[in-house]
Amino acid sequence: MNPTVFAYLRSRPGLATGLAMIAVLLIVVAVPKVFAVHPPEAIDVANALLAPSGDHWFGTDHVGRDVFARVVHGARTTLGIVSGSLLLSAIFGGLAGSLAGYARGWTDISSGQMIEVILSFPPIFLGVMITGILGSNMGYLVLALSVVYLPLFFRAARSTTMVEGAKPYVEAAQALGAGHDRVLLRHLLPNVVPSIATQYIILFPLALQVQAALGFLGLGVQPPTADWGASLQESKDYLLIAPWMALFPGLALIVASLAVILVGRGLQDTDDQ
Amino acid sequence: MGAFVLRRLAASLITLFLASIVVFAMVRAVPGDIVEQMMGQLGGSEGEAVLRRFFGLDEPIHIQYLDWLGRVLRGDLGVSWRLGAPVTALVASAFLVSLQLALLVLVFSAFIGVPLGLMVGRWSGGAFDTAIQSFNVVALATPVFWIGLMLLFGVSELLGWSPPTIYVSPVRSITENLTILMLPMLSLAFLQIAAYAQFVRQHVIAAMGQDYVRAARARGMPMRRVLLRHVLRNILVPLSTFMGLIFIQILGGVVVIESIFGLPGLGRLLVNALNARDFPVVQGALLTVLISAIVVNLIVDLLYRAIDPRLRT
Repeated sequence: MNPTVFAYLRSRPGLATGLAMIAVLLIVVAVPKVFAVHPPEAIDVANALLAPSGDHWFGTDHVGRDVFARVVHGARTTLGIVSGSLLLSAIFGGLAGSLAGYARGWTDISSGQMIEVILSFPPIFLGVMITGILGSNMGYLVLALSVVYLPLFFRAARSTTMVEGAKPYVEAAQALGAGHDRVLLRHLLPNVVPSIATQYIILFPLALQVQAALGFLGLGVQPPTADWGASLQESKDYLLIAPWMALFPGLALIVASLAVILVGRGLQDTDDQ
Repeated sequence: MGAFVLRRLAASLITLFLASIVVFAMVRAVPGDIVEQMMGQLGGSEGEAVLRRFFGLDEPIHIQYLDWLGRVLRGDLGVSWRLGAPVTALVASAFLVSLQLALLVLVFSAFIGVPLGLMVGRWSGGAFDTAIQSFNVVALATPVFWIGLMLLFGVSELLGWSPPTIYVSPVRSITENLTILMLPMLSLAFLQIAAYAQFVRQHVIAAMGQDYVRAARARGMPMRRVLLRHVLRNILVPLSTFMGLIFIQILGGVVVIESIFGLPGLGRLLVNALNARDFPVVQGALLTVLISAIVVNLIVDLLYRAIDPRLRT
């Protein structure tokens, strides 16, 4: 590793820990089969509700599926949905926000009003409304999560575009005859991307909580697909006889959130210096 | 000030109006209404048309909306398709349950989080500060409903206490009511205590360098007294607006917690109504949430202006 990068990370243990945790999570998402011996959807009623043991590290659930395998495979579902939804949100929110911040006038006012309407719903209620009405499939879940977080990307992109748009380089580009689309795409957007990326890291843990909550309410990922929030929903009825069903998917959620929060805080501290 | 209040009020009403259209349109845009569910295999018959007319579903959508809006303005949210009861009463009783829980969390976490923040701010950089900072990060990462599950398991397993599952209103028995609300409150409070502590900590650290704190210290006033008499009083303004934002956040958390502890609140009402495609109840519940969120935001904004003259133009 590059010595300066190494020294930099050593001076920021939080950031280094967060990055290491994300690296592990990414490996788990990429090759879950390496970690989980048992298939995640193999029902084995004879071995239901077994306590954690050498064979089943995290025990088994109410239909005898290996909880460890479901946590490992659930990482792909849960984290995939959250990162995909936020990416959609970032692209559409970012583009719309930049456009509103650049065009100003009625474009800005009318899109701002629409954003205001979305923001007037508390996040979980908006998620519940969209998935509850449209139905519980993965596509609608992604749609719901991306709508919930769109306003915050919109606002970040809009304010950055407004600040950047007032700078001399934009005026220079316009004076040289660049059209609006060229100014926006070639000059402004590249400068908006960092603020969108920051927003992405800040919102990731929040979106993860909402994704899990919707799964827990039965409005998210449907069985038999492995998903942390959905696993917690299934664990509810067996809480006193098989607490491991609730314990481990919850810990997985905490680890994933913690990883991103640590990276976010680490980067923020760097910016301040 | 008067002009600002009017402008802000008008903006809130426009947002509420547009949001109500969104709610109505979304609910109606989906295939499969109550009539289809009731008729099942018998669809397409004469009875279906009669039922459609009965539920007012034969009118064009904008007429349905205006009809609904007119009733809502008179305080009538319609009749539940599933239960046959007036939605206004259903939503009101559910809202009171959620509201009571949210207010309990708001106050309880303030009582713990604010003193914690004062202490951590006073001795920032110490071991206690590091501990609270770590607690804050972990609290942010932990799902509220998972805390609920773990608490439920903990009290049953360690204390041998199984919490009551049937809700009792505070009017009937305040002790039984609070016993039922205790675990849901604790589950939600975890995150909010951390939020309060973090918020107060930052304000205390900022206040420490201020002249009024140094002057009080120079007069020989003990630090405890400076914190309580001067710093805390100065924090009360931003704190009250912060509580508004926290309140909306708690309202969201309440939805998920209710399903664990079997509380007949707004969240459970909404989820059940969505599953049953009981549109009037869905609309009523969402409208109530919208109005409370918009009203709290409005109060926060106006309060901020009223207290801080620098923001007045």
